[in-house]
Amino acid sequence: MLSEAAREDIRRLASRYPVARSALIPALLRAQEELGWMPPEAQAEVAELLDLPVELVAEVASFYSLIFTEPVGERVIQLCTNISCLLNGAEEIRRHLEERLGIRPGQTTPDGRYTLRIAECLAACDQAPCMIVGTERYGPLTPELVDRILFENEGRR
Amino acid sequence: MTERVLLRHVGAPGQEDIETYMRHGGYEALRRALRELSPEDVVEMVDRSQLRGRGGAGFPTGRKWKFVPKDAPVKYLVVNGDEGEPGTFKDRTLIEGDPHLLIEGVILTCYAVGIQKAFIYLRREFYRGYRKLERAIAQAYEHGFLGERILGTDFHCEIVLHPGAGAYIAGEETALLESLEGKRAMPRLKPPYFPAVMGLYNQPTVLNNVETMCCIPWIVKYGPEWWLKQGPPQLYSVSGHVNRPGVIEAPLGTTARELIERADGVRGGRRVKAFYPGGTSSRPLRAEHLDVPLNHESLAKLGSMLGSGAVIVMDETTDMVQVIARVCAFYQEESCGKCTPCREGTRWVTQILDRILHGRGRMEDLDLLESIAKNMTGTCFCPLGESVPPSLRAGLEDFRDEFIAYIKGARAPVEMPVRIREGILAPGG
Amino acid sequence: MADPGSVTLTIDGRAVTVPRGTTVLHAAQRLGIEIPVFCYHERMPPLGACRMCFVRVEKMPRLQTACTLEAQEGMVVWTEVPEVVEARQAILEFLLINHPLDCPICDKGGECPLQDNTFKYGPGASRFVEPKRHFPKAVPLSPVLTLDRERCIMCWRCVRFGEVVAGDHALKGHERGYLTHIDAPPITQERPSKFIGNTIAICPVGALTSGVYRFRARPWDNRAVPGVCTHCGLGCAVWVDVRDGEVVRIRAREHRALNDVWLCDLGFFGYDYINRPDRLRTPYVRREGKLEPCSWDEALELVARQLREAAPDGIGALGGERLTLEEAYLLSRLVRTLGSNNLDFRVDTLHPLPTRDWAWGMEGLEGGEVADPDSRQRGLGPRSAGGPVDQLELVQTLVLVGCDLSEEYPVLWLRAKRALDRGASAVVLAPKRLEIERYCSHPILHRYGHEHRLLLALARLVRDRMTQPQAAEALEEVDVDVVARQAGVSAEALERAAEALRQGPVAIFVGRMSLMGPNAERVLRAANTLRALCGGTLSLLQGRGSAIGAAIAGMAPDVLPGLLSLDDPEARARIESVWGVQPPPRPGLDTVGMLQAAARGELRVLYVAGADPARDFPDAALWARARAHLFLVATDLFWTETARTADVVLPALAGAERPGTVGNIEGRPQRTEQARLGPEGAWADGTILQALAAHLGLSLTYPDPEAVFEEMRRVIPGLELDRPYPIPRRTPRIEPVDLEGPGIEGEGLVLVPVPRLFRQGEMAERCRGIPELVGEPFAVLHPLDAASVGLRDGDAMELDVDGTPAAVRCRVSRETLPGQVLVPMGFRELPLSRWGVFRKLVRARVRALEGVR
Repeated sequence: MLSEAAREDIRRLASRYPVARSALIPALLRAQEELGWMPPEAQAEVAELLDLPVELVAEVASFYSLIFTEPVGERVIQLCTNISCLLNGAEEIRRHLEERLGIRPGQTTPDGRYTLRIAECLAACDQAPCMIVGTERYGPLTPELVDRILFENEGRR
Repeated sequence: MTERVLLRHVGAPGQEDIETYMRHGGYEALRRALRELSPEDVVEMVDRSQLRGRGGAGFPTGRKWKFVPKDAPVKYLVVNGDEGEPGTFKDRTLIEGDPHLLIEGVILTCYAVGIQKAFIYLRREFYRGYRKLERAIAQAYEHGFLGERILGTDFHCEIVLHPGAGAYIAGEETALLESLEGKRAMPRLKPPYFPAVMGLYNQPTVLNNVETMCCIPWIVKYGPEWWLKQGPPQLYSVSGHVNRPGVIEAPLGTTARELIERADGVRGGRRVKAFYPGGTSSRPLRAEHLDVPLNHESLAKLGSMLGSGAVIVMDETTDMVQVIARVCAFYQEESCGKCTPCREGTRWVTQILDRILHGRGRMEDLDLLESIAKNMTGTCFCPLGESVPPSLRAGLEDFRDEFIAYIKGARAPVEMPVRIREGILAPGG
Repeated sequence: MADPGSVTLTIDGRAVTVPRGTTVLHAAQRLGIEIPVFCYHERMPPLGACRMCFVRVEKMPRLQTACTLEAQEGMVVWTEVPEVVEARQAILEFLLINHPLDCPICDKGGECPLQDNTFKYGPGASRFVEPKRHFPKAVPLSPVLTLDRERCIMCWRCVRFGEVVAGDHALKGHERGYLTHIDAPPITQERPSKFIGNTIAICPVGALTSGVYRFRARPWDNRAVPGVCTHCGLGCAVWVDVRDGEVVRIRAREHRALNDVWLCDLGFFGYDYINRPDRLRTPYVRREGKLEPCSWDEALELVARQLREAAPDGIGALGGERLTLEEAYLLSRLVRTLGSNNLDFRVDTLHPLPTRDWAWGMEGLEGGEVADPDSRQRGLGPRSAGGPVDQLELVQTLVLVGCDLSEEYPVLWLRAKRALDRGASAVVLAPKRLEIERYCSHPILHRYGHEHRLLLALARLVRDRMTQPQAAEALEEVDVDVVARQAGVSAEALERAAEALRQGPVAIFVGRMSLMGPNAERVLRAANTLRALCGGTLSLLQGRGSAIGAAIAGMAPDVLPGLLSLDDPEARARIESVWGVQPPPRPGLDTVGMLQAAARGELRVLYVAGADPARDFPDAALWARARAHLFLVATDLFWTETARTADVVLPALAGAERPGTVGNIEGRPQRTEQARLGPEGAWADGTILQALAAHLGLSLTYPDPEAVFEEMRRVIPGLELDRPYPIPRRTPRIEPVDLEGPGIEGEGLVLVPVPRLFRQGEMAERCRGIPELVGEPFAVLHPLDAASVGLRDGDAMELDVDGTPAAVRCRVSRETLPGQVLVPMGFRELPLSRWGVFRKLVRARVRALEGVR
């Protein structure tokens, strides 16, 4: 189910390490870039490309929170609610996001645009409260900034 | 105030470009080392600088390097860029603000220890840092600082940038090696798996944190005596209820009060209630300790630690029960699940704290929490589970009245933040 | 200073000296001090995860886990101080907070370490008032494995078993933290593990339970009787658990030189047949074409009359796999006393080879020392090797020729894996990709029928690398490039394999993919040449149950009991002194010879003991022709195909129903005891033979099987209980180079018959769970071949050989090469014998079956 380009990238990733298995996480991320998430069939394909038993791929995929073993929206929002963000109003931002998107953390908007996830500390406490949308980090967040970010992301579609 | 060293060029315009970095004196340490210094000289300099690891454990770097068997045919350097201890953001700041400084430190370390291959493990959430570092590494190759025959010598070195995928435990050094080998990030048994002798792929491996690596070029360039005279420079991540949160470079032993002042004071001019001196794994201290020098020894005396140098400031309005519940929940989420006390203990205390916040606490819960804290102390496989008791104890000892307020109904129940995996159903059959 | 190899420490005030490397846990055991554990299992390296085994060590900062801690000189350890007692209580409390405590309905109850440790070390009461973690209960992870995640305490034993011991990664930890749980991805559930029973055995709670044993008994009601598994021929030692005369469970019985503490799933789950109500309970004789029940006297008199009337050359006997050594010996003695050497223990081969040259079974090395997986932790050091099976751990290079080790002798694979983990190489020549391939350093997937040429090419390459090439000029006619090209492999791969072979000694295993085929002898000769160059052993990995034991007991036509030469004067004299007569001097007929003689009308009476040639003999047409002329006697447990067509059917007993010895592929006789009484009316084969002898007027009576064994020991020097028998072997030598081999004409895909652990059969079909593991008949196509006929994985397909079709499920996989299709042996729906795949290379046409699911 992966494109030939992705398969080629994964093979190349494997060649960077003395042991191909080391390329597993980068390979899963590369595949996920293309598919959005990692269904079992894609895990099996990565396993085949790295010549690993699929069981080893499955146990690893399920361990890491940023390998998505369930479908997610086009953009994943990772909202930090850890201590520095908590102290700076992350809960307010969470409620605002829930209201704006109409979903609870762990859920995906009905139109499939966003998945809202709670993140642990993003190591950007100087920008608390902060979040990552896709691969971009934003903060310090205010409800108004959140609105702007969502609006601009719409525009970027 | 001494001059900034580690942060000297961080954030300077164009600093992520190799040209700018070199204009600011970058890669001179490497040139000097390759021209004038033997690998042993570099190790000696670092040893004499008394540099201690900046990842949290504070182990002397020079000694760590000396543990690596000299005659081992294959050895590796692994840089721990999995910064995730809540409140810590100095590594990210360095990576994003001065990526070549890290690269130069890595190359120097490889030279010193006789390593040809280095891996920089960056947590996945550092998307921006990853892009910058990727580009900087490519530039370093283009300029001949990486690859074959570096600067015309017979020294070879390559760097592989490796992304994590969302797991705080990967910051534990042996878990990081597991992760880098494509496995679940679960800590290894020590012995026999001391990284210096049996590390990555069971080969001798030097494991250093990003900030530690960034110190190396300065030490090599100006010498250990100069370095010590600078403080030595130490990065503190200051966040929470301060007006200007950020990474502050200050000599080791600076007090929290000084750091808060440099962060333009407490928000709204309020008073400090408590602060974490070294990330959430350290025991939070009360305002009365604001003048304690933040160094390894003074903090150890208070039952706390310098850890990663993350100072999280909480003002007088802070709800300490919420804070401690959130911190415990963090460890619950990030426990790898290998050992019993961590897997079960982090969950149990989080459940109890949630119940207290929901207004269903019982007075006996306080003793129970204390007892669980005791049962998790000294019993966990790795430091992750052991990070819960300090917060819990501080809460129960120093802020007991706040817990009682929830239990007695003097404080309104609160809904605690939903955490990472809530909403994901328990696995089906 | 004491011996530098040992350390002295103090535990609970008592000094103990142990070898360096011993863990504190085992040092304490030496003093009789028990330290509780969960995650630690002796056959795997310490993990230190459960934290149950805490001890206090003076001068160490925190409590230490005894399972991971090496004893050091002068260490002072305390195991019962309050701190340790409290820590154990704490760990047990943690483990129990989410445990359902449903012990009354848990299979593990009564033999549960969690229960036992809680009883001994646990806290009085739980302080946990939060909602427990909930998972779906009793999830069937496979037809034989049920998982209850709520009971799981995440000790990681099952996961590590799959990594360390079996290498099949069948069960894995998924998710993390408090949500960590055991799981198997769906894809593995389709391809079941062969070793999952062991995870049930080592699970310290009732999380993994047997789908077959579930809810059948409480352990305290079971009686455990020592037995030997006879499914594959390795002869794993087992406990047969019996309750009210019913076999309810099979467990591994520790045997360090054989199965250690492990079993395969056929052994672990495949026992239910013995309890089935459709067992034969009375003799039958054929009257006017119909089999009718009769008395034992009547049946035996009829058999005796037929035997008396036939000329000595006109009688023969088959069987051995399911006989005890004693029974095989009695059958051989009876038939030989009647003047015939027409005896064979082999009913499933078309290519019987001279026994003294090419005896089935494993060849051992001389001596050697083996380090058990727990020897360091226990401070035991290596022990003397016990036989060919554990000597496998000593080889430098394992060579598998047409041998799918994990399918044929699964527990032997566990042994081999230890050698490979230690760094031994493995050269694999096979027409399919083996499941264990990832552990093998030199897998060579080749076209079917080329392994003898490849062996010669390897021999040539090894010879070319020798500093003083032996007189093996003949090998120079082997053109490595040509051989490689024809076989579809790369010459470089052969070169690399030859490098590994040079390291010697080698252990060459020739398996059924080669031995069942038309090239068997060529392959063996080539293998012998290679072995002569490299040094080491050559084993024919063939023979199930007690087949090799039967051969040793005398069920082979060209040798005397003990596999001794027919014209060995001493042996003949020894036999005569015991039997009163000499065996016939000339070799008898093997199975093929007997059936051919029968087809010509020369062989009149065939006595088949516990074998099913009607189903298993690989030339169905020859069997049919022979059967038409025979008076056929069959002893068995069930209405096998042979029994249904026999003239006399005699109901026999199963393994666990009578005492005796069983001989494995090492020729090791192991005692098996009577675990239950057989069905009334059925007799042990040994009893039948003694009664038959009486009908023949011969005196052949013994008080018990031990007496038979004692007599065998007088006739067969070197036969000892639980010692591998010295099986005679062809001398290592450079054999004449033979590059011939059957060509393949015609169109279609070459059929490659492959062995499979889970196959159909009278026993397998009567065991709960096993038919599901056997699954549907299938054939494996290469993706290119599948695409060319429009087949996808899982489609229904038809194989057709000269108008004889078979419908099977299509599996698409790179397990095979383009141009050849893998067909599993042991499926009724695949008429391999009728297709003639064991006589020659056969091609099949393949097409999709439209509209069939």
